[in-house]
Amino acid sequence: MAGDTSPLFRARVLFVTGKGGVGKTSVAAAVGRLAAAQGRRTLVVEVDNQHPTLPVIFGKPTAYEPTEVEPNLSICNIAWAPALEDWVESIVSMRRLVRLIMKNRVVSLFLQVTPGARDLVMLWRTLQLAKRADLVIVDLPASGNAVAMLSVPLTAERLFPAGPIRRCADELLEMYARSDTRLVLVALPEEMVVNETLETLHKLERDVRGLTIPLILLNRASPPTFTEGERSLLSALEAEAPPGTAMAEVLGAGRWEEGLEAATGDALARLEVTHRPVVSLPSLSRADGARKVTTQLAAAMARASGVRVDFRGGT
Amino acid sequence: MKLSAMVAQQQLIVCVGSGGVGKTTTAASLALAGAYAGRRALVLTIDPARRLANSLGLTEIGNTEHRIALPPEVPGELWAMMLDAPSTFDDVIRKVARDDATREAIYNNRIYRSIAGSFSGSQEYMATERLFDVMQSGRYELVILDTPPVKNALDFLDAPGRLARFLDKQIMKRLLTPHDEDGGFFGSRLLAGTTAVVYRLLGHIFGDEFLGDIASFFALFKDLYDGFRERHESVERTFKDARTSFVVVAAPTEPSMEVAGFFLTELRARGLPLAALVANQVHRASFTTPNLEAVFGARARALHPAAAGPLLARLGAAHLRLADLASLEARRVEALRRQAGPSVDVHVVPRLATEVHDLASLAALHRFLIG
Repeated sequence: MAGDTSPLFRARVLFVTGKGGVGKTSVAAAVGRLAAAQGRRTLVVEVDNQHPTLPVIFGKPTAYEPTEVEPNLSICNIAWAPALEDWVESIVSMRRLVRLIMKNRVVSLFLQVTPGARDLVMLWRTLQLAKRADLVIVDLPASGNAVAMLSVPLTAERLFPAGPIRRCADELLEMYARSDTRLVLVALPEEMVVNETLETLHKLERDVRGLTIPLILLNRASPPTFTEGERSLLSALEAEAPPGTAMAEVLGAGRWEEGLEAATGDALARLEVTHRPVVSLPSLSRADGARKVTTQLAAAMARASGVRVDFRGGT
Repeated sequence: MKLSAMVAQQQLIVCVGSGGVGKTTTAASLALAGAYAGRRALVLTIDPARRLANSLGLTEIGNTEHRIALPPEVPGELWAMMLDAPSTFDDVIRKVARDDATREAIYNNRIYRSIAGSFSGSQEYMATERLFDVMQSGRYELVILDTPPVKNALDFLDAPGRLARFLDKQIMKRLLTPHDEDGGFFGSRLLAGTTAVVYRLLGHIFGDEFLGDIASFFALFKDLYDGFRERHESVERTFKDARTSFVVVAAPTEPSMEVAGFFLTELRARGLPLAALVANQVHRASFTTPNLEAVFGARARALHPAAAGPLLARLGAAHLRLADLASLEARRVEALRRQAGPSVDVHVVPRLATEVHDLASLAALHRFLIG
């Protein structure tokens, strides 16, 4: 599994997205553990996730404020309501007035139904957290929604000629433009996932200009191990095995693994059009549990990037 | 309710679940099953990504309904539509605006343009609009709705109620009054006490220009409120109707099963008619690994002497991995089945050898779902 992932764990802000179910959160957690193991104060953030996955990985609940789960590593889940309150407070700076505004029925309804308002304050909160850490990793929603969320500051810049929202949008766009603010797309060796990855990259380049996308991660990749001879023998035996027998099932298991390798080759070939390095991550047994998967992913990334780390507390 | 009965009797089936579990393919497959049952079926996806086109083997489907060509022996019809939020919003305005001037004024309002196009969340609002249209049109006997991954699926379920609350006349009146009487949103002498303070602070935060835009946006929408509210209330009633069923789709992975459990709880709490659970992409192993050398060692060596040894070793290991995975997944499905209770029909669909992205593989999937 070759490929340098240091642009990810050496970033200041790292956005992680991809099609639903590709293992975004595991990758975000693994990069976080790798950075933390190298002594960087790291925070992994889920964005208003009603069903957060980080607690499943780290065995500790997340809240709006970061919780330390390992040395140098904290996790949190940014809900939009407290983020909004913090943002309003940063502008009016009087707790009592903030509460008055937030309690106003018209204001709260307006903010609830104005699409984009939530996204903007959550991005703002991410930026504030980034000021307190060496690396903030943002586990974004699935790709379609992530693009919409990331493009909100650009829309806000068009809508607001001046004022606090404009300043907030400007600050976020400045963050996007920094070379150490990066985004990584996570893909799987499956045709539909590759389609969506290519489409998302196109949308990001069109709608969220200025964001650095250094590489693509191909998660659950199976490098080629079947020889030509093994493949042809597998086909010959399949032709002879009666369906529904133990023999057919065993051959099916072999075909399953051969198919994963073939799909990995196809995905790597199709992702070449991105003109970016594609780093393969191993296919791990999810039977081991979410935490062990992140340890193994982090170890694989460290090896591939030539970094020596010891995952304390990593089981 | 069995899926076979569901596709034959229901008017609306809503598929929910986390991303990457085959929700869209399940939705497309249920619509195909409806067509096989002789019905005119439509599959509607509000997923911002173009998954439906993928699973139907099409390169592109737009905001209009497309008929998918089926073999002649299928008695019903299969239609598909993918929601494109901005043009749907424009369609709705065209329908409810009382004249061309109002319509053009809305199209040109900066707030409208940003809400209709760039901001996330508009898909959820407008999905209910499009759903309302197709349900009202009477063109389809069965509509299958595919929802976006978990977070937005809930937004989508909440959207009608939230919008209806927002468009509540009393609240709108409070928002609109200063605009109507003073021609400006703030500084109204009629506003007093905390409301005046709040509005002044809002002006400070959003800027007076933006608030002017907002005020004219609401003024333009004033005449559309009743129409919007009726449409959304109708969709909400439809969700709770006896001829609507919710289907939770899950893959047998830890996160997906958790999300499925979450949906079971949420749907119940909301009084929505949950009817079936589809455990998708499940690995199966029915046999214990035989002694491969004894069973076909000789045959393999005869066919390919050099590859026989390595392949047999590999097959044995692969089958053990498959069996481990299958038993783990079976335990997860069983736990979810217990949580769902006896009233929810559980369908286990094996992982298919190839990805589902054409009609032939959809038909294979539909045989697993319907039997």
